[in-house]
Amino acid sequence: MMSAVIETSRLGKQYHRTWALRDCTLVIPEGRVVGLVGPNGAGKTTLLRLATGQLTPTSGTISVLGEPTAVSPAQLARVGFVAQDTPVYPRMRVAGHLRLGAWLNPGWDDELAQRRISQLGLAPKQRAGSLSGGQRAQLALTLALAKRPELLILDEPVASLDPLARREFLRGLMEAVAEHGTSVVLSSHLVTDLERVCDYLIVLVASRVRAAGEVSALLGSHHRLSGPRRDPGTLPAGQEVIEESHTDRQSTLLVRTDDPIRDPAWTVKPVSLEELVIAYMNPANDIPARRPRLGVAS
Amino acid sequence: MIRLTWFQFRAQAVTAAVALAAFAVLLAATGPHLASLYGASGITGCPAASCEHLASNFLQQLYAGGTYWVLYLLGVVVILLTPAIIGLFWGAPLIARELETGTSALVWNQSITRTRWLAVKLTLTGMAAMAVTEGLSLMQAWWAAPIGRAVGHGGGGTNLAMGRFSSLVFATHGITPLGYAAFAFTLGVTAGAVIRRTVPAMAITLAIFAVVQIAMPLWIRPHLFPARHTVISVMSLDNVSLHQGGVDGRSFTLGALNIPGQPGAWLLSSGAINAAGQATGITPAACTKPSVLGGPSLFPCLARNGIREAITYQPASRYWPFQWTETGIYLVLALALAGYCFRRLNRRLS
Repeated sequence: MMSAVIETSRLGKQYHRTWALRDCTLVIPEGRVVGLVGPNGAGKTTLLRLATGQLTPTSGTISVLGEPTAVSPAQLARVGFVAQDTPVYPRMRVAGHLRLGAWLNPGWDDELAQRRISQLGLAPKQRAGSLSGGQRAQLALTLALAKRPELLILDEPVASLDPLARREFLRGLMEAVAEHGTSVVLSSHLVTDLERVCDYLIVLVASRVRAAGEVSALLGSHHRLSGPRRDPGTLPAGQEVIEESHTDRQSTLLVRTDDPIRDPAWTVKPVSLEELVIAYMNPANDIPARRPRLGVAS
Repeated sequence: MIRLTWFQFRAQAVTAAVALAAFAVLLAATGPHLASLYGASGITGCPAASCEHLASNFLQQLYAGGTYWVLYLLGVVVILLTPAIIGLFWGAPLIARELETGTSALVWNQSITRTRWLAVKLTLTGMAAMAVTEGLSLMQAWWAAPIGRAVGHGGGGTNLAMGRFSSLVFATHGITPLGYAAFAFTLGVTAGAVIRRTVPAMAITLAIFAVVQIAMPLWIRPHLFPARHTVISVMSLDNVSLHQGGVDGRSFTLGALNIPGQPGAWLLSSGAINAAGQATGITPAACTKPSVLGGPSLFPCLARNGIREAITYQPASRYWPFQWTETGIYLVLALALAGYCFRRLNRRLS
């Protein structure tokens, strides 16, 4: 049986009066590369910080690698974290960062760290402040990987990188994950960053989880239906409309269902991951707004 | 973590070492000559009657010469400012810089708790802060020892003749610099943790530290131990400040500048009282003749008419109790601030 790397139950975090995350119930299985996608401000960083124990929940529970997120050295050693904007000490040299990693992590894999640094072409003597954004991100990733965590969490690691550096970063990440079987959770506001690398996706919108599951299962359960104009309220039970658009004669729906679509009136097309995520992220498709509006359409 | 702390602290440590060395060189270059001046002054082994005079002459000579007075002041200023500088440049950035640059997210996600990170940083940097400040103080104490001895022999008459209880001397000698350094450092760390930005934290640190360092000698230190009161005859006063005013010198204020029989005591306040024991500033009518007012018969006249001097003071024997108490207060404040930082680091900051 697969165990969960992150398991939350009605998890919530409130800052002053606003909820950054609420009612989040998730089970993220082990050994996956999980994409956490959602617009800026959706609560991605909050969820990841709760998972690393940097924040304590306001409500609900979270356990990581089977343990509550207590901040103990043992638990810290099991979870690697690359923060947003991949911070490094600007005045410290590359070699200094590796020493920092070696000093602070009992499980430090120096061979891995040195190998990655030389593969990346980083000069050990170079100060981290003079690295390019892509190199800095790679250095931060190296620190997190050489710690040899069971779970690696990355918060928007590629957001500030150019396309080439993004590609390089994600390739490096995938190589390391393949080598060590590390579970990974990484967030992005762009699904295009994630679709090449993730096999599990969580869509977080406006502090709530809107969809979560295996990428293949998500793709298999979402369909683009087009056919004669029709009120979505008349769909069979079990078909949930995520997005709808209508012309005078035609309706196009994005539907989630675990059952096959049997109605011959519909032309059924598969959806891409990007379409699916954008449908969930579009505020026009928010739950309260998604009421039958067909009746008033002209 | 100890290695990392040292690794990140190297640059500051080198700066501090250079500053200490420069101070040491300056004092070592001038100290022996100062000691030889003292040796030549004849204070050592002086006959009791002339000690005070010789000591005053020695201090006068140093003060008039200028160099040693300037060096003395320079040393005092350096020792007074060092805790503030440490609070600003070592304390304030300790947490604030990590938060500002986001490196807190890097270092606090290694296999080490924030508590341990802070404990090691605070201990090592705090120890260095205390060592540097106390080191400066001890060097200055060695250098200024002849001046202190001359003052102890009753030498006076110049700005250089500051007793051990005077604000500048008390705050730069003994063990108080340890307390100031620990307090200023943790104050900086706390300001950084609360404000989360280095430069504003530095400004706040400086402001609070300055207020505390002014409030302590003015309003707190004199009351750490209950003061003693004494009433003495105006005839026994040997060093006074006398101001006469009003019509024909009918009002006066009479302040004692030292306490007869109490060398090295800390004089808190003094003033004339009348026969009824009330503070007074009215010259008794019998003493208002012009010949008396400006002449040597004034004090005998005042004494005959019941005027005495009331003095509030702390005896010299309380010097070390004052030193320990004040240092203790600062160390407790430093510990309280450190404790707050631990709480805040684990609960609020991320």
